[in-house]
Amino acid sequence: MIQRLDDWVLEQTLLARADGLPALKPCSIRLLGQTALLEAELPLTLAATKDVDVRADYQDSVRREFERLLALEGRELDPLGHEIWMPVETRYSELYAGKFVRLLLAEPEAVLVSKALKAPRKNGPLLTEYLARGASERFLELVSAYAVDLEQFL
Amino acid sequence: MTPEELRERARRKLGGIRRRARDPRFSKVMGRFAREGLLVTNQSYRAHKNALEVSDVLWAGELEPRLLELLPALVVKRPSMFASTANLPAELAEVVAHLRRDEIPRDFRGIPGRAVHGWLRRVGQRGKAPSRLKAFRFKPAERELLAELSKKLGVSETEVIRRGLRALSSATLLSKSAARL
Repeated sequence: MIQRLDDWVLEQTLLARADGLPALKPCSIRLLGQTALLEAELPLTLAATKDVDVRADYQDSVRREFERLLALEGRELDPLGHEIWMPVETRYSELYAGKFVRLLLAEPEAVLVSKALKAPRKNGPLLTEYLARGASERFLELVSAYAVDLEQFL
Repeated sequence: MTPEELRERARRKLGGIRRRARDPRFSKVMGRFAREGLLVTNQSYRAHKNALEVSDVLWAGELEPRLLELLPALVVKRPSMFASTANLPAELAEVVAHLRRDEIPRDFRGIPGRAVHGWLRRVGQRGKAPSRLKAFRFKPAERELLAELSKKLGVSETEVIRRGLRALSSATLLSKSAARL
């Protein structure tokens, strides 16, 4: 799907150049929230609404095309996705690098810390399952940095 | 607490969660929500077509709180998904009443009211908020005119008033209000 978005940006850029208009700028889309956990294929029981949480630096026309492509897959861009709090230390891995569009995936540990801190009740069973499987050192490091209370998931 | 103690305590709690997740009520609710495209999951649930009990959704919501995020908007916009939407528990009834008035309710079982309200226009008929009753007094001549216009245009009397409002707001350049109609 992201490849189709990249192809669309390329096509628009070629059309704009032919018409002497400014081309679309390259952009990065960072996948956050539950969608990032699903994409990371973690061995956890995951469910997500059709919302896709992203933080992106794309232009409005690219966002609209992204929304259209997501709708074809039965998904929607979360209108409040960009408001999601993420630890400043969050690392992102590259999931796709096209000519114009890069798709980055937030590390699962940072996503889980964000959930534990900002929406503990909504994510309680998920956090319990993660802790039962054995939390990574990276997760515990972030938990300690942000003083997350893990007792509530036990 | 050591990481091993943390893991052991979480394991004990997870045992209880898993037992509840094996309950047919949970599979039924998840199967219906997944079938409707309301939830995406990495687990396989058999598609469930029949109407759900609201009480089952509330129960399953304790394991998957995203069900609770969607439930109030579905009661308003997709009541056919449920066997009955009468006699809702007081807490849910209050949230639903707010949504029917297109107002942000208070938090619902740990889900922010803003998130619950956010689904109102995104489930069922997209972009539509529920209509509300508003009563007016008309004189006999106005009532006759309304009935005549309704008959002539082949639309309901409510639709005649809606069209009249749209025309009036366009004519008076209330573009922002007109766009809402």
